[in-house]
Parts: sequence; structure tokens; C-alpha cells
Amino acid sequence: MAFVSSGYNPDKPMENRITDIGPRKFDEFYPPVIAKNKGKWLYHEILEPGILVHVSETGDEVYTIRTGGCRLMSVSHIREICEIADKHCDGHLRFTTRNNIEFMVDSKEKVEPLKQDLLSRKQAGGCYKFPIGGTGACVTNIVHTQGWIHCHTPATDGSGTVKATMDVLFDDFTNMRLPAQLRVSMACCLNMCGAVHCSDIAILGYHRKPPMLDHEYLNKMCEIPLAIAACPTYAIKPAKVTLEDGTEVKSVALNVPRCMFCGNCYTMCPSMPLADDVGDGIVLMAGGKVSNRISAPKFSKVVVAFIPNEMPRWPTMTDAIKRMVEAYAKDANKYERLGEWAERIGWERFFEKCELEFTHHLIDDFRDPAYFTWRQTTNFKF
Amino acid sequence: MAKHETPLLDQLETGPWPSFVTDMKREAESRAKNERNIEYQIPQDCCDDLLGVLELSFKHGRTHWKHGGIVGVFGYGGGVIGRYCDQPEMFPGVAHFHTMRVSQPAGKFYTTKYLEDICDLWERRGSGLTNMHGSTGDIIFLGTTTPQLEEVFWELGHNLNQDLGGSGSNLRTPADCVGAARCEWACFDTQAICHDFTVEYQDELHRPAFPYKFKFKFDGCPNCCVASIARADLAFVGTWRDDIKIDQEAVKAYVGGELPPNGGSHSGRDWGPFDIRKEVIDLCPTGCMRYEDGKLEINTPECYRCMHCINVMPRALRIGNDRGCSIFAGAKAPILDGAQMGSLIVPFIKVEEPYDEIKETVIEPIWDWWMEEGKNRERLGELMKRQGFQKLLEVTGFKPDARMVQEPRTNPYIFWKEDEVEGGFDRDINEYRKYHQR
Amino acid sequence: MDQAEATEKIVTALKKKKGKTKFYFNDLCKILGEKPRPAKKLINKMIIDEVLEYWSSGSTTLYSLKGVGKQAAAEHED
Repeated sequence: MAFVSSGYNPDKPMENRITDIGPRKFDEFYPPVIAKNKGKWLYHEILEPGILVHVSETGDEVYTIRTGGCRLMSVSHIREICEIADKHCDGHLRFTTRNNIEFMVDSKEKVEPLKQDLLSRKQAGGCYKFPIGGTGACVTNIVHTQGWIHCHTPATDGSGTVKATMDVLFDDFTNMRLPAQLRVSMACCLNMCGAVHCSDIAILGYHRKPPMLDHEYLNKMCEIPLAIAACPTYAIKPAKVTLEDGTEVKSVALNVPRCMFCGNCYTMCPSMPLADDVGDGIVLMAGGKVSNRISAPKFSKVVVAFIPNEMPRWPTMTDAIKRMVEAYAKDANKYERLGEWAERIGWERFFEKCELEFTHHLIDDFRDPAYFTWRQTTNFKF
Repeated sequence: MAKHETPLLDQLETGPWPSFVTDMKREAESRAKNERNIEYQIPQDCCDDLLGVLELSFKHGRTHWKHGGIVGVFGYGGGVIGRYCDQPEMFPGVAHFHTMRVSQPAGKFYTTKYLEDICDLWERRGSGLTNMHGSTGDIIFLGTTTPQLEEVFWELGHNLNQDLGGSGSNLRTPADCVGAARCEWACFDTQAICHDFTVEYQDELHRPAFPYKFKFKFDGCPNCCVASIARADLAFVGTWRDDIKIDQEAVKAYVGGELPPNGGSHSGRDWGPFDIRKEVIDLCPTGCMRYEDGKLEINTPECYRCMHCINVMPRALRIGNDRGCSIFAGAKAPILDGAQMGSLIVPFIKVEEPYDEIKETVIEPIWDWWMEEGKNRERLGELMKRQGFQKLLEVTGFKPDARMVQEPRTNPYIFWKEDEVEGGFDRDINEYRKYHQR
Repeated sequence: MDQAEATEKIVTALKKKKGKTKFYFNDLCKILGEKPRPAKKLINKMIIDEVLEYWSSGSTTLYSLKGVGKQAAAEHED
């Protein structure tokens, strides 16, 4: 493995350095039919699940096939996407905000061969490489975070929980039977680098044990003031600790009841790990949305306080999700989002219909907004 | 033959949804074979080792990664996230395995030529694994060693005319919806403004001088496909002020069942024949619509443009012509003081190049305020809560507008300022005593 | 403030702090007695001159004198 220089000279980092050029300009990448009709689109229609047509005032049409994808993607897979786009789409494609891949063609005849090609490609274990769907009143791809593949504070895995969930919800990816779209999102700790807080259903990793303190090494590995400052709830203070061999070392002490298990201290200080096989697991949230359609955007609410991590397929979690989706599918009105449905029938009814247990953990006790979530009317249901 | 046994991960190789495990194995195999004779610049078996680490996490129920904060490319305070494996002897291929964020093009359209170039670079100098895309929108390069960071950055800049994205206390890579490129509802060109701001604010994106992260997101209409209103410190949401354009013939076609409602989005179930009263008129949240004698009417001043009727009848109803955007400030995820939705600060502004009005009257005054007054790790929304909405009006000079609130305050505890009260606060106690005994 | 004076101020102040080597941008502004925008120009130059370096938590960025602190050893980047 010989080192091959790009041209960069580490002794003179500023020599010929190119900075601040930003991303490539979007219009370099437009397919011709998009470049020609941008801003001129009249309407669209979903011809079948995953296949859209947009019609322009020029008379042009663009057909889009939307396929699911793993956001964790190898270059081999991207090259296969490129091969398909070269074969059918004149070398153009796009990705959606929700990690779907969209192949666009400019005439209807090109749709069927593209569709057949996409569906014919399967992985060795039988999984689709390019499942078609994710449009209209359906479950589309799950946006998610890294989890155990690459993050230092996750309480669960990202790709694994998503694969398990999408396998269970697959029929609702390829079919449009739901009352409205249902957006599932996943974040692997409460820091939510993938903001899942406004999703119809959110899968959230959660730690339940405070960090361990590696006293012997803490002051050698970390700057104590940094660890203290990292804590959002001011639960960490400096402390002198006597080790088993009698040496006194500088370290930190935790005000445990204050700890919200965010792991921010571990980011600053590797001597404060908090991951735990039993402590860590999943919180389920539901009823959020970002669209302004009919009702205002809403936050998701915690509906299951904790589910243990059950590798590799998280069956308790996927069962609970499936129950919510089925109850919603059965009971909600056309166009009604999951959160709108829950509000119409009442959350007391939601728990009943979804066969979820209501526990004290689901009653808000965090700071001011908590009060506004308690019931302050006689208008409730038995 | 796989380097590590992965019995737990192997169970994720079945079922209909694409398997990331199979895909990682594919890359591991491709690197082992090296049919392209690539001079790999990081360990050839890094994908095998990554599978091994992940299997171990599946077994332990705990992560095996540590964070690193030092690594980066020279002069930039963002774009690279340091990662180290906590079992480097077992998995030497991923002992140092840093993430790089690559600034995505607005709208996420690509040519295969560009993607292939990206693949060639990342296969040679990194793991060959990516995220398409990360949560904020960047292309994520997943895993390389410290010496390769500058090399990747050099090649991106010199060969691909491509820069890194944001992380840390920076402006994060702005993101947008597909917009006018392929959507009839875009009230402004999301890609044009997203790209313009990304380029204009490169210094803010690469050289951290903010108290915390800051996000711009651009949604072309109130459907909010990129979730700007929930996620962006400044959310730009397309809107319009004039009449929704109505094609009465097309309305009739929907009523007559010739056109599928909602663009065919509900075809997976028999919902019965389309009922315009039940599905549109009665669901209109403002009650501003009437359908009588085969004619649809919308009382425009009462409409708040929620998009429902337009979504249901895209061929009959179109957004108005007097277009622009509303701007919302302060959205964020729950950490720390609870989630915040963006709050309306500009009900309507035109979105026209070079966007000077938005930059000079909205973005820059807000940044100046937040940079001076924001506490360390305080998002804009939290500063707004701490110092009050009035302060935001003060720094921007925007006039208060009833549109900015859900409802007026329910407490009368107005902290009047001296200059708001006639005669000020200084009074003569002796004058008062002339009329009031002690 | 000229660059040499600013650098001198920062170096002196940061060396004085005991047990802490990483600082927020706002801390540096206070040391310089400058508003954020002019301070940023001076601080950026200190990065290019390799007087200061960044340390990023991923979500937040801190500044320190180059090579100072325990992180380098803890992160195996020394």
C-alpha cells in the first residue's frame, strides 16, 4: 500500500490550496427535460406506487421511478445505480430528502424497461436492490442516523433497526392503502442528529444509565473543565477520588438524578462511557408532522417509554410499530395523518386501539412545557 | 471467505428491503478482489473490519466507537468528524475511521459522471462506504485515516471542483426540496437560493464563529418536504398572496371521477367515489371554499394556503402568482430545552436574486445578535426564548404583526421600558406628597 | 487591533488558564475585547499561522493553542 500523493504538500498546506468553492452548481446536473421545464410544471400524477409523471406547460413529461435505498451505500452500489441511469436515463438521477433514489425518463415507453430492470436486481439473500414505492399514501424510506456503524454515543443501531422495520412495513412502501403518508424516522440517541421530533412514527435510541467514571484515567485522558462544561444539565462537578491503591486523583462526580443520559460528556471525555447492553434501548414516538396541510406542524409524542435492544431484528419494537400502523390504517379518515387521527379520537383511545400500555413515563415532567400537556378539561373519554 | 464471522448481521440479509449488510459485504469482496488494480490508500480490508465491529456491537449491545475532535483539514473548523475504534487490535482496518461531509448540490440531482468520480476518489482514499445522504443533506464519506483527509480534500477541490460541508459551530450545509425543478408547487426557486446562500456564506460554513450549529432549509411550499419548519434555525417556506388559480373544467373532471384525487396517491384502497364536499370543502381548515352549481369558489383573504385542496386536485388548482416565502426562526430538535418549531418572523418576502433584502434585513442582523448574545451551545430558538420575541423584532427592525403569534399573551406582565411611558420613570416625591399624606 | 497584538493577547491569556486548554469562540472575543466579526478575522489568521487549532465535538467547535491539551494523546493523534 504505497502512499500516493494527491499533490498536497504537508509542509506548505496553503500552497495552491483551493477553499470555499462550495458545492457543484445544481444546474450542471439537471437532466435535459428538467432543465428545459423548470418552473413550468403544471401538475403531477402517481401512475402506480413509486411511479410519477410530471407534465409541463410545454407538453413535455418526466416520468420518475422512486426506489428505496439504504442510506449506508457502497461505491459498488452507487456504480450500479450509475449503470442503470446510464442505460435508461441518459446518465442522470437524483436522491430525495428521505434517501430514496429517483430515476427519471422523458417518455412513457422508457418506464417499463426501467421498472423491469430495477425490480430484477436482487441481492444474494433475496432482498430487492431497488424496491419501487414510497409515493403517496404510504410509508416511505426511513431517514436515520449512524448508530453502531459509526457513532460514539448511540443507544441502538441505525441501519439495523431501519432494515428490520422496513421489512415489516414493506407492503406499505409498495402500496398506497394508508389514509395519508406515514413518515417514519430514526435517531440513535436523544441528541437527534437526525431530527425525528416531527415524524408520524419516530424510533429513538435512548440510554438509561449515567456514564461510568474511569477515575484512574479520567484526568489523564480528559480536561475536567471540558467534561463539566459539556453537561447540559450541570450534573458534573470536579471531585477528588481515592483509588483502591490509596492514590488520590482528580476526577469528577455525578449528580445522578440530574443526568438525562445524553452522552455529551463522553464526547468530550472518553473516560465517561455510558453505553450499556441492558440500559440502552428504544423509545417510540408518534403523531408528529412537518406539513402545514389542514393542521399545523406537530411534534411527535412519546408513546412507548422503553423497548430493549433485541438484535438483530428488534421484534418487540417492530411489533409495536406494526400495531400503530394497522390501527391507523383501519381507523383514520382519508387524508388524516397519524397525529391528526390520534387527536381526533383522543390519545386515551390511541393507546387502546394500538394496544400500547400507558405508563407514568409518558407524562411529561421536563421543565415548563410539561404543564401544558396535562389534561385541563372534562372533555375526555371513558 | 469473510474475515470475521457475522452470524447476527447475516440475519439482516433476508427480507424484501435492501440489506446494508449484503451491500457492505459486496464492498468488502470488491476490495479483496481489487479487479481495478487500485492502490488502496487505507486498509484494503476495512469493510471486513467494519462488519466485524458492527457484529460485535450487535453482540454487546454497545457501540465500539470513540469520538475525536482534533482531525480536520487545515484552516477549516468543520466537515470532518473524528472516529476511532475502541478495539483497534481486533479491527486494525478501522482503527482510525473518520467521516467527511461533502457539500451536496442543491436538489440532489447528479450526473453519473460526477458520482463515478466521487466513487473513484472514495474507493481509493477511503472505505468505499458512503451515506447518500446524511441527515443534514451532505454526501457522507464514511471512514478514512488521518493522513488521507488532506489528500481527499485536495482531490475534491482540484479535480472535482467540490468542497466540504459544515459541522461544529458552523453554518451547516443548507438543504432544499426538489422545488421548481420538478414540482408545480414551488413558490420560489429553492435550488437557486440554497446554492446562492451556500456559496455566499462559505466562511460561516467552514470557520466556526457561532455559539452552536446554524441551519438554513428551503421548502418551496407549505407541504415542507425538507422539514425546514421543524429543523432549521432559519426556515424559508414558499407561499403566495393572491388567488389560487382554478380550472373549473378540471374541477368538474375530479367531481366526475375522470381524474384521480390527490394525484392518485390513494389508489391502494377503494375509498369510494371522490366527494368534493367531504374531501375538500369540509376539510378546508378555514372554511373559505364553496362548491355550488358545479362551480368552485375560494374566498382568498380567508385562505391560509395549507395546500390541502391543491394537493387533492393538482390539475384543477394552482398556487397563485404573487409568490415569495415566509421565514420562520428558531426550530430545533429537543436537546436541550425541548423541541422548538420555527416561529414566524417574516410573513412574506419576495425571493429574488441576489436576495439582498433577505440577507441584509433577516440573516445578518440575526447572526449579529446571536453571535454577541448567544451563550455557548445555545441555538437561535433558545436565545429567542431567553431574550424574548420582542428582542428579535428589535434587532431586525421588523414591525410587530398579529400574524407572528398564535394568540396574544395571557398575562399582563409587560415590562414597560421607560421611553415607552409618557414622562419617563423619574418623578418628584415631594410633588406627590403635596396631595398624599405619609 | 493589529494581528501581532491580537495573537500576543490570545497566547498570553490562554497560557495563563490552568487545567483548561479548549475555549469557545466567545471566550476568545472577550480576551480580544472585540465584537465577533472583527475577532473572527484575527482568530482565523491565528489558525492559518498555526498558533491556534480547532477541536470539534461534531456539534460544537472549540479553540486551543496548537498541540496543547490532553486530547492529542487520548485520540492517538500525537
